[in-house]
Amino acid sequence: MIESAPDRLTRMLSMVAYLRDNPAVPVAEVAEHFRISPEQVIADVNTLWVSGTPGYMHGDLIDFSGDDLEHGVITLLDSRDMDRPLRLSPGEAVALLVALQSLSLAFDHGEDASLVDETIAVLRAAAGDAAKAADAVEVAAPRRDVDARAERIRAALSTGRRLHLRYVSASDQTTERDVDPLQLLTDATRWFLVAWCHRAQGVRQFRVDRILDVQVLDVAADPHPDVQLTGRPEPDTAQAAQVRLELSSRARWFAEQLPGATITELDDGWLELTIGVVDLAWLDNVVMALGAEVRAIEPPEVARRVSSRAQAGLDAYAELGLI
Amino acid sequence: MSERVDAAERMLDLVIALSHTRHRMTKSEIRAKVHGYGTNSSTEAFERMFERDKEHLRDLGIPIVTLTDAVHEDEIGYRIDTAAYSLPPIDLTPAQMGVLSLAAEVWQDSAFAGSARRGLTKLKAVAGSSTTAAPGVALRVRGPDPAMSDLIEAIAERVPVRFTYRAAYSGETTVREVEPWRVHARDRGWYLVGYDRDRQAQRSFRTSRIVGKVQRVGEPGSVTIPEHRPPTPERVFHTPVRLAIRPESAAALRARGSVVDSIEGPTGARDVVALDVSDVEHVADEVAGYGHSVLVLDPPELREAVLARLRAVAALGGARS
Repeated sequence: MIESAPDRLTRMLSMVAYLRDNPAVPVAEVAEHFRISPEQVIADVNTLWVSGTPGYMHGDLIDFSGDDLEHGVITLLDSRDMDRPLRLSPGEAVALLVALQSLSLAFDHGEDASLVDETIAVLRAAAGDAAKAADAVEVAAPRRDVDARAERIRAALSTGRRLHLRYVSASDQTTERDVDPLQLLTDATRWFLVAWCHRAQGVRQFRVDRILDVQVLDVAADPHPDVQLTGRPEPDTAQAAQVRLELSSRARWFAEQLPGATITELDDGWLELTIGVVDLAWLDNVVMALGAEVRAIEPPEVARRVSSRAQAGLDAYAELGLI
Repeated sequence: MSERVDAAERMLDLVIALSHTRHRMTKSEIRAKVHGYGTNSSTEAFERMFERDKEHLRDLGIPIVTLTDAVHEDEIGYRIDTAAYSLPPIDLTPAQMGVLSLAAEVWQDSAFAGSARRGLTKLKAVAGSSTTAAPGVALRVRGPDPAMSDLIEAIAERVPVRFTYRAAYSGETTVREVEPWRVHARDRGWYLVGYDRDRQAQRSFRTSRIVGKVQRVGEPGSVTIPEHRPPTPERVFHTPVRLAIRPESAAALRARGSVVDSIEGPTGARDVVALDVSDVEHVADEVAGYGHSVLVLDPPELREAVLARLRAVAALGGARS
């Protein structure tokens, strides 16, 4: 990914302020601090080194110790007065403060929540007027119906233990499995456990509200250094089936909450929704919930699948004499 | 390297030049003297580049001040006041920096993601090390829609706004004039709450349905935001419901009620689960989604609402109902 110019500019200016306070820092330490590669640190220093006031002669430029750099250490010699730390813009203050408020709610009054609240107070004081805009934003707490399960998962994550799950999938299959927890993720609405599943021999994502029971095992979780966490609550849509739905305008709310969906307005006021679906059982559920708000599904085999599931529901009512 | 990287170097030289200029620099001086601006073949290309850089710097909290000179009235000059852009003293503990790192990763795919990332970078200028907060726990939220930054700014400055809005049900667009009060996130969506001047009442607008730009239509300070925030109403649970649920399924529904009985059917036993609900239509959506796993015993209006959904969907595949 190519870094944006505002991102790099912000970092280079922040780096000058940081280097003023931290003389003779090893390149690796700067890289670690700003979460960039050592090569990028050198590239930034080299850019700063040739930057300065018009004229751009020696004495106009930001200067570093060449000797130190040869030894892998960065020492700022002349900052050209560019060593003031930058204040937060209103947009930056709002984005961080609202994220912190969401975190505070997600942690729900625990020890972490008070640390978050403390951080909010420090940040607000530093942001000044820029923080006031954040007052206009309210965030909702994730659902609370999963607390005991989420707590056990968090305990296993911090102590590095394996978990035993009893889980019901979107297709209503109940399974038992041992998993090594990797991450507990929330999208501010639901919680998800990302884990290495010993039964599937791969990384799987579990919705916490579908975990029927979870036990922390007296077994250490295996390390999984090769696993790259996507950090996304949505499943990987690369292997998804493309499904096209025609929805009534009343179902717009549903279409709008789907990440990666394409919504087209049809001439008669209906909507066309195109979406990549990884788990067709999920699609069955939402289509049955929408009922008459859906008037067409493509491809036909997907339409037949969901239709037969609805028919199975009707048959079950008939069996019990409820229709 | 790409052009984007060059832009960072050019803006860096612009910031240094404009914060060192004794009084001000005019556009022609900038074009002639500041590294990176002289390469433009045309004045138009230079103007575009300079305007874009000015906009970027404003977003970063490094505003360029415009000055006119008594002697050269027609030529505008520019400078940056470094004192105005510095961060006040801030003392962040390693644990608090850990929390901020977690916060900077919350937003996905939106302007908020970039803003949070840059905000964290600025704080790193004055912070020491950080410790990992809440290991293994992460919050990922779809960031607000493009209109959000303009709306938050308008609320902060108490300015009325006008925008084109697509109605949820009809899909038709109308132009709305609103006194913006606050925004809130709910169920994976973002909403603006304010006073709708045409409807003369409080209204809520889903920001993803705002089409195009948000315009300001009044003076800063001309909006009065009501002091009292009405608390979110407590849910009233009043309709008793009995469901027949297959063993092990519908954990979320079971968690909200209790098993009171069990019944035997031709295809196996089902638990009878009793719970109270507040909104029958909402529960009908949820129950219908479970298909044959969850059946409604009572009340009849909930059962009919679920059956209507199942019948409509059964008809989609050409299956007989």
